[in-house]
Amino acid sequence: MDETVAEYIRRTVLKIPRDEIKSMLQTWGFLSETQLQTLNFHQTKDNISQDVVQLCEDNSADIKQAAVLDIIYNHIYPNKRIWSVYQMNKTGEETDFFDLTDFKKKFKRRLQSALKNVTINFREYEDNAIWIRIAWGTPYKKPNQYKTSYVVYHSQTPYVFISASVLRSTLPLLCQALVVASNYHDIREMELRSHCLNSLKDIAFKRYSQTFQTYYPRPLQERNVAPENVDLRIIQENRSEKERIQRVNREVFGDGPQPKLEFAQYKLETMFKSNPKMDVLDIKEPFRCLVKFSSPHLLESLKSLAPAGLADAPLSPLLTCIPQKARNYFKIRERKGFFPGSFVSP
Amino acid sequence: MSAFPPAREQQRKMEEGRAYSQDGVLSHLEMLEAQAHELALKQEETEQQEEKLARLKARVQELRLRRDELQAKVDLQQKRLLGKEGVVTSSAPDAAQPSDRAVLEWKMKSVQAMLQVFYLTGISGKLTKHGVCFCISTAYEGTYLDSYYLDLLTKPEVRIRRHSVPVFIPLEQLAKKYLQTDIKRFLSVLSDHLNAYVGRRYQADQLQERFSERLEGALQRNSLCNVLVFNYNTSGKNQTFPFSAKLLYGDLCRSLPTEAVVSCTPDAPASLAGRTAAHSDVFRHVALHKAFDSISSPEEGLDRAP
Repeated sequence: MDETVAEYIRRTVLKIPRDEIKSMLQTWGFLSETQLQTLNFHQTKDNISQDVVQLCEDNSADIKQAAVLDIIYNHIYPNKRIWSVYQMNKTGEETDFFDLTDFKKKFKRRLQSALKNVTINFREYEDNAIWIRIAWGTPYKKPNQYKTSYVVYHSQTPYVFISASVLRSTLPLLCQALVVASNYHDIREMELRSHCLNSLKDIAFKRYSQTFQTYYPRPLQERNVAPENVDLRIIQENRSEKERIQRVNREVFGDGPQPKLEFAQYKLETMFKSNPKMDVLDIKEPFRCLVKFSSPHLLESLKSLAPAGLADAPLSPLLTCIPQKARNYFKIRERKGFFPGSFVSP
Repeated sequence: MSAFPPAREQQRKMEEGRAYSQDGVLSHLEMLEAQAHELALKQEETEQQEEKLARLKARVQELRLRRDELQAKVDLQQKRLLGKEGVVTSSAPDAAQPSDRAVLEWKMKSVQAMLQVFYLTGISGKLTKHGVCFCISTAYEGTYLDSYYLDLLTKPEVRIRRHSVPVFIPLEQLAKKYLQTDIKRFLSVLSDHLNAYVGRRYQADQLQERFSERLEGALQRNSLCNVLVFNYNTSGKNQTFPFSAKLLYGDLCRSLPTEAVVSCTPDAPASLAGRTAAHSDVFRHVALHKAFDSISSPEEGLDRAP
């Protein structure tokens, strides 16, 4: 077995939390059940990884199999990477049958014709998602297994979730291969990024909670809203205002949990507006600044601003449009006229 | 008769007086005075009584008048109520007011229930501030499945504001085609697409759930569920899967495949190989899980397949 393969397997095993090593190796399916039984999972992770490598050596594993283990790890821990959403466009109107084998073949051929040294792995999951792992090399160098790109694609959708390699130069080639393989014409970045892959999917596929008005009563969500004031002597002075905030908030954010994003970034290129007497800035140059909101769970925190009394009830549409517009990186430019906050695509 | 009795009484009294006079004139006078006083009192009393009677009579008159007035009013009111309610059995006038409200509430409730029931038809809508919000409810073979929503703006032109339709449904193309010109058509075609998609997905899920022992691994499918690929056998007892099927659903508005390619592994017995055409036929005409019911008869029962 190649030494680099052995080392790669060892490092991958080291990444896995100890109590999950066994189940991940079972999912991998490369080692037989009897082989797994010989492993002692109670020793240090370092020793476990050595033992796993030894067993793989016996089975003469190659990089293809090692890569599958890496995919399994990344599928279970997608939050370890940062994902960016790309949208593909089509000129024709035909919706074709999506043939998986055809897709794989085209994708591989495209990359391999450009680069000889490249490791490509596919793995399909039950939600119709195809996970692709690509390790990049150069014509003279072997693929670097530690600087991989990951692509998650749901067939027949125009959205691709890419966790790009640190080797930035590989991105155009990857995009090209995707467009060709899935029969689209071009691809662009949507300016939507997060660690939470599933939330990005929810936003792109419009599966996040939205409120729609209907006559049909939807099943009531179980909401454990603790009665705020049990003390009858306390009178809510602003009950109607509170109810209004709650109603408006629900209209904007819906009832369910929000998709998880960590950032929202606004690049302002607007004129500075001040009292002309103050003579602070009478420059026609835009006033450049960058506003970045960050939170472990940005949308959920925005949702709780108004009920907590920290902001006025309908928040600025600049903040609430994030799932609707499917982007969390904005550039705001001056618009002719009085309309504040215009979104201009970069 | 009228004149005599007093005269007689006078006489009698005179005689009495005469009798008294024996006792003395003064006492007689005293007696007369007392009598006169008594008479005067009596007269006054009757006069008072007469006065009282007259007053009471006037009061009665007055009350009667008032009674008649009120009666007339009540009659008028009742008549009016009857006119309003149509043929409602006459009830006590003080109960009429709440029953009116109850009727209104009942009507509201029934209208609301009607609007709720509308989702059973598959397409229902509600006016919103900006336009209309449509709800397309899907079903397959009597089982209600997912509901999808479309929030439309109506001014200045019909436009989709928000929606929850899956990305792989060609919503944009349908909107381009019909949204401005024929919204009924738009909704019905979209509903066809959604129902067909949900139906295909439901069949595939059913197949996987109910016949997993007859399938080799998981079904291979795509998002729209318009290509399904799987290897299967007909008995579920053996571990070999001689048949492989590829179902193509060319019409996105239908939940039955337009093409069903069934092949058999070359090493399978000829008796099995002969059945592929029959299988293909069943797949094209019967829902997938039902098709499996009919082709999976024990060992030799395949002839029963339609």
